[in-house]
Amino acid sequence: MRRQGKSPLRLLGIAMMLVFFGFTLLPIMWALILSFRPASHLFEPIWQSPTVLTLNNFDSLLRSDFPMALFNSLITAGCSTVLAMIIGVPGGFSLAKGRSQRRFIASWALLLLRMAPPVGFVIPLFLIYLNVGLLDTRIGLIAAYMVLTLPFVVWSSWTSLAQIPDELIEASMLDGATLFQTLVKVVVPAARPGLIATGVLAFLIAWNDFFFALVITRGNTVTAPVAVMNFVSYASVDWGSIALASVLLTLPTLPVIIFANKYIVQSMGGAVKG
Amino acid sequence: MMIPSAIAVGVFAIVPLLGMFALSMTDFHLVKKWDHEFGFQNFIKLWNNKRFINSINVMLLLSVFGVIFQVALGTLIAVGLEKIIPKWRFMRGIFVIPFVVPAVAVALIWLSLLTPTLSPVNDFFDIFGITVPALLTSQYGAIAAIVMADTWASYPFVMLLILAALQGIPSDLDEAASIDGASKLQTFYKITLPLLAPALLMVSLFRFIETLKHFPLIHIMTTGGPGRSTQATNYYAYIQTFQNSNVSYGAAIAVFLFLFAAIISYYVARANARINDA
Repeated sequence: MRRQGKSPLRLLGIAMMLVFFGFTLLPIMWALILSFRPASHLFEPIWQSPTVLTLNNFDSLLRSDFPMALFNSLITAGCSTVLAMIIGVPGGFSLAKGRSQRRFIASWALLLLRMAPPVGFVIPLFLIYLNVGLLDTRIGLIAAYMVLTLPFVVWSSWTSLAQIPDELIEASMLDGATLFQTLVKVVVPAARPGLIATGVLAFLIAWNDFFFALVITRGNTVTAPVAVMNFVSYASVDWGSIALASVLLTLPTLPVIIFANKYIVQSMGGAVKG
Repeated sequence: MMIPSAIAVGVFAIVPLLGMFALSMTDFHLVKKWDHEFGFQNFIKLWNNKRFINSINVMLLLSVFGVIFQVALGTLIAVGLEKIIPKWRFMRGIFVIPFVVPAVAVALIWLSLLTPTLSPVNDFFDIFGITVPALLTSQYGAIAAIVMADTWASYPFVMLLILAALQGIPSDLDEAASIDGASKLQTFYKITLPLLAPALLMVSLFRFIETLKHFPLIHIMTTGGPGRSTQATNYYAYIQTFQNSNVSYGAAIAVFLFLFAAIISYYVARANARINDA
């Protein structure tokens, strides 16, 4: 390593990073401030009354259907993630270690399912649900989220499981374990960090969904991202509650940052290597 | 072991897609009488529909500019984190935060920042007597607003993948170049950037397809307006299906988008296979 000290280029670089840092952080700080601002002071500059803060927004949020909506989000995103993992991981395993010649087709199909326009899935689902009475049910929403989570889980667990050494699997099979036992007892524990990242990201995909819930849910099973919109009415926009709801919506996703970035990257990008 | 996954993917994903293709060939309408006409008439109508053509323009504007800014910003930050401030580890975590903010929250936060009466940005510039233009009320301003919000939310994805790619580049290459007398900028342009090219291409394609699916940002920040200036194709399909009840027409638009995604994902899958084989 050579040391250049404080060259102008380096200072410029640090200045650039600080600008980006501000761009990243200011909207988040603004949302945090807004969620503690009383309605009476919303429209004056923040530096005129920086200490006028309130917890009233919590009250109005608790009185609304937002807590129930958070619960609905948790249940539907959680169930669809668990189901997708149970069904999808064996599929990823067989793609990673099987002798299939159709890997290219499989990878294209899985990518396409991840990338296909959600509106294409939602239109037929909406008509089917309308006829069988699954509109505005949690089961209907969980099934709809499988459209999002399952292809992702198969694709992403494929990447993590491909890194498990073949010898490990062969040794377990030689000891007389069945393929399924090998998967559950040997392969899954060995690939745990990658699979956890897969599950967390699958949950995030369902948790963040707005479009499916907007079309499929009504009053009963509305999820949190859709319920936030109830604070936006034509008469007035309850910015304090909106900001607070946005913050609450983000809180469960924050632990993702703490997870080993390496595994998140593997799960997201498939095999993007340098 | 493949069988349960294959069946489940079939049930949950392929069946709705087949439904989409089937519907696009009908004249099914939720409210109007159904004449049971089958064929390609929806696609012919689309071809001559100015709103549809407009929606493609909007979609491409949002996607192309969105991808350019996200990839540029994500790459700059990744390179900055690795080469300029490698010791400030905690910064990495902070730069990832926007990635986990749900799209609805992103849209609402940026809507509040772009509402002139509310925004601290407007308040700040008012001190100097500068009036910040209200982006959301002008045609290209609204597009810029969505591109900005999307850039904020999506550059961390690019950053994470580019960081991973940077860490895969052996550091002795940099050292060799510096011994040969190359400046840091030269090293970056001549060595680092070419080595990043495959990752950059991949991440651009990934983001391009994601930006084609814009929904929450448009629905919450502009509802397609002002006029139809932010009514991208995906959003237009939603309007046709769920506001105008014109289901088969919406399905035809979805088929168009699907074929578009099929072409791009084919190239992503091929690029991926090549990386894996290498």
